[in-house]
Amino acid sequence: MTAVAGAPQTPQQEAKTVQLNLIQAVNLALREEMRSDERVLIFGEDVGARGGVFLATDGLQAEFGAQRVFDTPLSEASIVGAAVGMAVRGLRPVAEIQFADYMYPGIDQIFSQAAKIRYRSGGQFTAPLVIRTPSGGGVRGGHHHSQSPEAYYTHTPGLKVVMPSTPFDAKGLLKASIRLDDPVIFFEPKRLYRAFKEEVPEDDYTVPLGKAALRREGHDLSIIGYGGVMPDAIKAAAALEKEGISVEVIDLRSLIPWDKEAVLESAAKTGRVLLVSEAPRTANFMGEVAYVVQEELFDQLQAPVMQVAGFDTPYPYALDKTYLPGVNRMLRAAARLLEY
Amino acid sequence: MFKPFTDQPIVRIGEDGKKIGRWSLDLEAAQLLRLWRDMVRARIFDEKLVTLLRQGKTSFYAQSSGMEATQVGIAHGIRAGYDWVWPYYRDQGLALAAGFPLKDLVAQSLGTNDDLCKGRQMPHHFGSAEHRFVSISSSIANQVAPATGTAMAQKYLGSDEITVCTFGDGATSEGDWHAGLNMAGVAKAPVLFVCENNQWAISAGIATQTASQGIAIKAKAYGMPGYFVDGQDVLAVREVIREVAERVRSGEGPALVECLTYRIGTHSSADDDSRYRSREEVELWRGRDPIRRFERFLEAEGLLPDAETLSGIRAEINAEIDGVLAEAENNGYPTWDSMFDDVYADLPPHLEEQREFLRREQEAL
Ligand SMILES: Cc1ncc(C[n+]2csc(CCOP(=O)(O)OP(=O)(O)O)c2C)c(N)n1
Repeated sequence: MTAVAGAPQTPQQEAKTVQLNLIQAVNLALREEMRSDERVLIFGEDVGARGGVFLATDGLQAEFGAQRVFDTPLSEASIVGAAVGMAVRGLRPVAEIQFADYMYPGIDQIFSQAAKIRYRSGGQFTAPLVIRTPSGGGVRGGHHHSQSPEAYYTHTPGLKVVMPSTPFDAKGLLKASIRLDDPVIFFEPKRLYRAFKEEVPEDDYTVPLGKAALRREGHDLSIIGYGGVMPDAIKAAAALEKEGISVEVIDLRSLIPWDKEAVLESAAKTGRVLLVSEAPRTANFMGEVAYVVQEELFDQLQAPVMQVAGFDTPYPYALDKTYLPGVNRMLRAAARLLEY
Repeated sequence: MFKPFTDQPIVRIGEDGKKIGRWSLDLEAAQLLRLWRDMVRARIFDEKLVTLLRQGKTSFYAQSSGMEATQVGIAHGIRAGYDWVWPYYRDQGLALAAGFPLKDLVAQSLGTNDDLCKGRQMPHHFGSAEHRFVSISSSIANQVAPATGTAMAQKYLGSDEITVCTFGDGATSEGDWHAGLNMAGVAKAPVLFVCENNQWAISAGIATQTASQGIAIKAKAYGMPGYFVDGQDVLAVREVIREVAERVRSGEGPALVECLTYRIGTHSSADDDSRYRSREEVELWRGRDPIRRFERFLEAEGLLPDAETLSGIRAEINAEIDGVLAEAENNGYPTWDSMFDDVYADLPPHLEEQREFLRREQEAL
């Protein structure tokens, strides 16, 4: 299936690998792209000497100098706006927005300029830029450091929207995003920044956008998710396996474009689909996935498509654990699905 | 050297056409006539487009009549076609004087096949990569921070181009305006901001936009010089822009120029300005017509060509625009499948599917 094609490849024998967590993988991706392309510039709030509040840009200013890695005024509008103008003039800006929750002051620049300049100029001007930003909950960050706003961006034609859940993917997807000729909103699930390490090749590779990863193969039920919920989705699948239920787990990895083929193939095989994300439920991107699955596979489904998501409340600090769809909520939803 | 932060606007020619202060003319008769011609061409273009609108051939237009000295002055003060411009939607006078092809401007307004922007934007939101004139966005002030970014890129690339960013007085109230100027100041980006202060933002007067003494003074807050110029005086605008642009080019950082002008027409084709401003005010500014003022100057200097020559030039411009308009209409309109181009560099699968869907629907028609 196509999901396999996009899954992390076993690194070749000769290739050297290192154990990295997700944030270190981001850092390595940035470093490699800066080394290979002088047009790549990195800027944002505190990304210079400080190396970013999460250390994504750690050491980059020291290596590449303040011409290429620099701090900006505390203004998302000017960070995104400047990235647009630089990209139009031929550079490859990678801007950091400190938290996805703080993108809003720059959102007109994303929606009206970055996303549209290619289209409205008839292809004369383009904005190949990447906006990296930590998103999602689970780090006791409270309301303004925990939101999952990806649906706003998936609803805006002209943007590509990415969210890795592993260090390997983070490096490969970020490198692919920087090389793309389109604006990319690159969400990094901050609760996975240091959650685990894995082997990441030290050499050049990319993970293409629009290809899901098959995290686990199964035939009774498909769990489909992306970003911060993935480790729990895999745990839920393992728990079900113990009860003799075979679960397939798919990580979308990018939302625009998304791997419809992989999802439909899996859904057709298992007949039962559980969609998992931590974003508020209403108008969640997974609604789009559910809609496509039922439109294409209405006859083949054994049960209605179900969704486990966040709630339609602003993010609650003290109730972090309650808000996020953990393993138990996934298991209860799976039980309902399997009852049909 | 012009002085920033003056209380009175910088001026070279009085209402009566006489020189104000002591300065020597560094332009030859042909160059002066070019300034006159560019202003007249912008005015005639305005008239033609209003007619086109009345005929229902285009659906939107924003007149710049009254603002010709400002716009033509800017165009003549920069290295047109070399410097990058992030303009706003009322800049046809600037565009035309800077060499933006008339046929491209018209094609965009009609949304025909020849439109460089492929009929994507509302009429009168033109742009041309070849002429380094970035496609206009309707969203007020959101060209300001990108202009700063383009200038930062120019600096990084070691180019001696500069970026010119224009906007109205209303735009200076938006957050993006302040964000963009602030960053330009901090980055010492080679960007020249020009406020075409025509005193109205649709029906909201300048007093609704700011409690400060005009716009130029705001530059102080961002660490750059701010120049207050009589925007009805094409020579003053040209001279200030030229001097400041070269200073920006030499690496001294950004600057802001405010040109005090007036739009004598309505805000846009959808506007009735009699609801918010008096006829006396409009008539007063009609009397301050920048083209007439410049003609009085040329006359005083003994450089105004005879009436026959001038009307010959007008006739030439009329014929040029009529010719382009007549031709433009015959060029057909973008076809249905072009709708899916240029959303991304390549067509992603979901758009491919949607295009296929529309194709079947079109064939069924
Ligand atoms: C963000 C945004 N808000 C509102 C509008 C609607 N609008 C269009 S033009 C305009 C007035 C702009 O005035 P100014 O900047 O002074 O330029 P002028 O039209 O006077 O040349 C407004 C409010 C818009 N286009 N964009």
